[in-house]
Amino acid sequence: MKTEKTGFWQKLQNVDRRVLYLILVVTTSVLLSPMFANISIPDDPEPSSKALYYKLMSAPDNKTVFVQSDWTISTRGENAAHLEALLRVLMSRHIKFVIFTVADPQAPGVYRDVIRTINSERKSEGLKEYKLWEDYLDLKYFPNAEGTLNAIASDVRKAFGGVTAKDPTTGQDRNVFESPVLANVRAVSDASLYMIVTASSSIDRAVERLNEKATLALMCTGVIGPSAIPWFQAGQVKGVAVGLRGGLDVEYMMKHGLNYGSDPKTARWAGHESQVAPPVSEGKSLARANLYFLSFHGAIILLILAVVVGNIGMFVTRKKRTA
Amino acid sequence: MQWYDTGVLGMLFVVLLVLFILYNIYRTEHKKKDLYIRRIPGLNAIDDAIGRSTEMGRPVLMVPGIGTLNAISVQALSIFAHITKAAAQFGTPIRICLADAAVYTVAQEIIRDVYQQQGLIDRYDTDSVRFLTDRQFAFAAGVSGLILREKVAAAFFLGEWYAESLIFAETANSIGAIQIAGSTEKSQTPFFIAACDYVLIGDEFYAASAYLTRQPILVGSLVGQDWAKIAMAACVLFGFLVNSAQRLPETDMHRVPLKDGAPEVWSQLSDDQKADLETAETWAKGEKANATEDTGLYRLFNPFYSKEDLTVKRAKKPSGAAGATE
Amino acid sequence: MNLLAQAAPNYNFWAAEPGSARLWIMILVSLLVGAGFYAALFYAPSRIRKPIVWTFTFAGGLFYVLYWAWPQPVSYHPDDIPNGFVENVGFWLHDALPRVADISNILTAFLLGLGIYSLLRIHTGRIVKRQADRGFSVVFFIAMLAILVFGYWDWSLREADTKGLLQDSANWQLANFGQNLLFDGFLQQMDSAMFSMIAFFILSAAYRAFRIRSVESTVLMASALILMVSLLTLVVTNWDSGVANLAKNVFHDSKADPATFQAGYLNWMKLSSIANWLKAYMQVPALRAVDWGIGLGALAMGLRLWLGLEKGGVSV
Repeated sequence: MKTEKTGFWQKLQNVDRRVLYLILVVTTSVLLSPMFANISIPDDPEPSSKALYYKLMSAPDNKTVFVQSDWTISTRGENAAHLEALLRVLMSRHIKFVIFTVADPQAPGVYRDVIRTINSERKSEGLKEYKLWEDYLDLKYFPNAEGTLNAIASDVRKAFGGVTAKDPTTGQDRNVFESPVLANVRAVSDASLYMIVTASSSIDRAVERLNEKATLALMCTGVIGPSAIPWFQAGQVKGVAVGLRGGLDVEYMMKHGLNYGSDPKTARWAGHESQVAPPVSEGKSLARANLYFLSFHGAIILLILAVVVGNIGMFVTRKKRTA
Repeated sequence: MQWYDTGVLGMLFVVLLVLFILYNIYRTEHKKKDLYIRRIPGLNAIDDAIGRSTEMGRPVLMVPGIGTLNAISVQALSIFAHITKAAAQFGTPIRICLADAAVYTVAQEIIRDVYQQQGLIDRYDTDSVRFLTDRQFAFAAGVSGLILREKVAAAFFLGEWYAESLIFAETANSIGAIQIAGSTEKSQTPFFIAACDYVLIGDEFYAASAYLTRQPILVGSLVGQDWAKIAMAACVLFGFLVNSAQRLPETDMHRVPLKDGAPEVWSQLSDDQKADLETAETWAKGEKANATEDTGLYRLFNPFYSKEDLTVKRAKKPSGAAGATE
Repeated sequence: MNLLAQAAPNYNFWAAEPGSARLWIMILVSLLVGAGFYAALFYAPSRIRKPIVWTFTFAGGLFYVLYWAWPQPVSYHPDDIPNGFVENVGFWLHDALPRVADISNILTAFLLGLGIYSLLRIHTGRIVKRQADRGFSVVFFIAMLAILVFGYWDWSLREADTKGLLQDSANWQLANFGQNLLFDGFLQQMDSAMFSMIAFFILSAAYRAFRIRSVESTVLMASALILMVSLLTLVVTNWDSGVANLAKNVFHDSKADPATFQAGYLNWMKLSSIANWLKAYMQVPALRAVDWGIGLGALAMGLRLWLGLEKGGVSV
């Protein structure tokens, strides 16, 4: 009996990695299925996400927000949830924004998809659609992150000076600074927030070049999180949503608010009780991150199990060898 | 007024660090003294890895990450030049895969130079240095395919790595290649540690060329970096002491605007003092959003200035002459 | 030629109006100067080449060093006339920055041509020499050609579309569908698939690497497990409110409140507290220290390259 048991553990030690992969596929796919779609995941948001949500909700609604969207389809699991949440907050507050990327020529394609999705979602809910030129500007891709950020910091009118967009009333190309979105922006400090949604180290470049010139806030993938948190602790970045968890944090606060009234579900921020932010007034709140989070739970639990089982197996086989 | 708002002290500190490095380069070059560098296991393993490839008759793979042409990729290429030198002597085939066209052109030059200097130019295969694509995951797919098809025996992943790091490392691990890796992106180092045999952590990557070649300039620069690190650590320690001392009595302190809260004290102040206090109060209210800290060291690097200090009166250009972008 | 219409609309020494004679003369002159310079470099004896390369490296670096170190013009406005020499230089540096960025972008674009040439050479060679795996090379050519053709065709249709009809996919033509299929249907999905493979690799790497072999690896594994569990909000919220309940009911702590997960003096038992402590006091300082090392390394390397001290260092 005993040898049979050890044999099992030994076999487990040398298990083909493809078996592990299959278990992962099955677990995550099952948990993504429609029957779990309407579960609302409980959450106690991270302090950095609370700071971010407060910054977003307290930004003045008559000032433009800069959105630097530096991710592509590969990290949509995390970043699409981020950008969707961010744009839903901005659109619910009718804040104008300009969106661009300094990282990747593919990035405009994916952020346009996100804008289109949210716009059609708003249309079906009978809410105001965001219009190019009037409500937001799409400045597309700027190569050379370092140089572009330097140029934005020193003179945003020059950095974006060559960009034109179609004015829908005439169908003609006009300089973007003639649009209502950028008309009042003379320097990057005129924007109330400079949001970065990224899957790479573009936050480091932004802190290096825009620090003290713009109010930076970040939504990044889980991998980038640890290297971005020092910027938050030092006050150089005003709020950070890290990974899918960060996305869920923001969606949760969009649903329940921050320090908002006596709602038992609202996120409480110990030591910052005066910083109150309501839930979003219109549009969806719980969305992609909430949908993915159950599947994410499954993957993490599997990872923990793999580590635990791997160690038990190692101990049992080692015992057998010494016996 | 021009020096305001740029943080003169911070700049002087960086200049000091630069001087440390330059002085030590000068010193070591003129002293010609051998300096001790601590053992770095990952770099010692390079020769073993090449030896193994030679025995197995399989290629050595080198990838300098997916960064653009910058100090990091040049550093990676200079380590690869050292590896290529050994590989050229043994006649071991090499593969260098690049994800940036600029790095590719430089890599090609460097590798050809290495073979030429060794007098082994006939062993140089122009296809050994390859540009694959500048798309991150297409590159990952391309290199993974090459690893599996050519069954590389040793893999060197040194440079600027992002999410593709684990794909490369696990693929090479699956065919039993010996792997030496290092990333300047600290977020990727954990992935390499989980999947590779040897990992260069942080600035070990930059120490590599000094370690491998012992050139006086490189070793001197390494010593200068150490001096700079000590200076930065001292700065942190000083800041920690100053800030802690400052925070102690502040635990129960509230900022009361003197003008309204204590008019009797306010009336005794000089005009300059009043102006300074008013500036401090407006800034504390968040007018300059990023100068948030009140601690001594922070203020040393980010001093208070009034709005007048930061305004310069200039004549205007005749209208219409300037700024068509406006 | 609308291809050049994206240039900055203020025409100065560096930029001329699209389609104007001046623009074509400028292009021609720069091509001639470039070709002449290339020929001069090609025929120059190798001992002169090094100083030339050094001069260009130094000049290129000098701009950014000056830009960073020179006092920046305070309260800059493009219509201002600078006061005195310091401001004059400051204004010039400020104005020249976007142009310098343009120059480096243009250079990079040309180098991409060299990269593509390398690809074409390797794959044509493979097909001509009938090497193994030449099927992949054929796929490469088909893919490259298809995306070039459809990409350009789609772009030119969109440029001509002044009324924004193509925003709606009902008005799409073959080119638009083709481009969409190649970009969204193939490229994006394959990118995504490659990235998601990391999840599988993390699983197998964790299975192999997180083993209790020594004290250090035990500490590493324990902290990794805590951080992984801290991502499971279902577990964390239940655990934290459990701790708060415990503090309130068993220890009668007045500061504990299960509704807000506040656990009074038992706060340290909360999973989120432990995870945040690990991140803020263990991980962040270590990362900062690693960052310094990397930053200083890059500074030293940059200095050596800029000042030409990397003597043969590159080619060992």
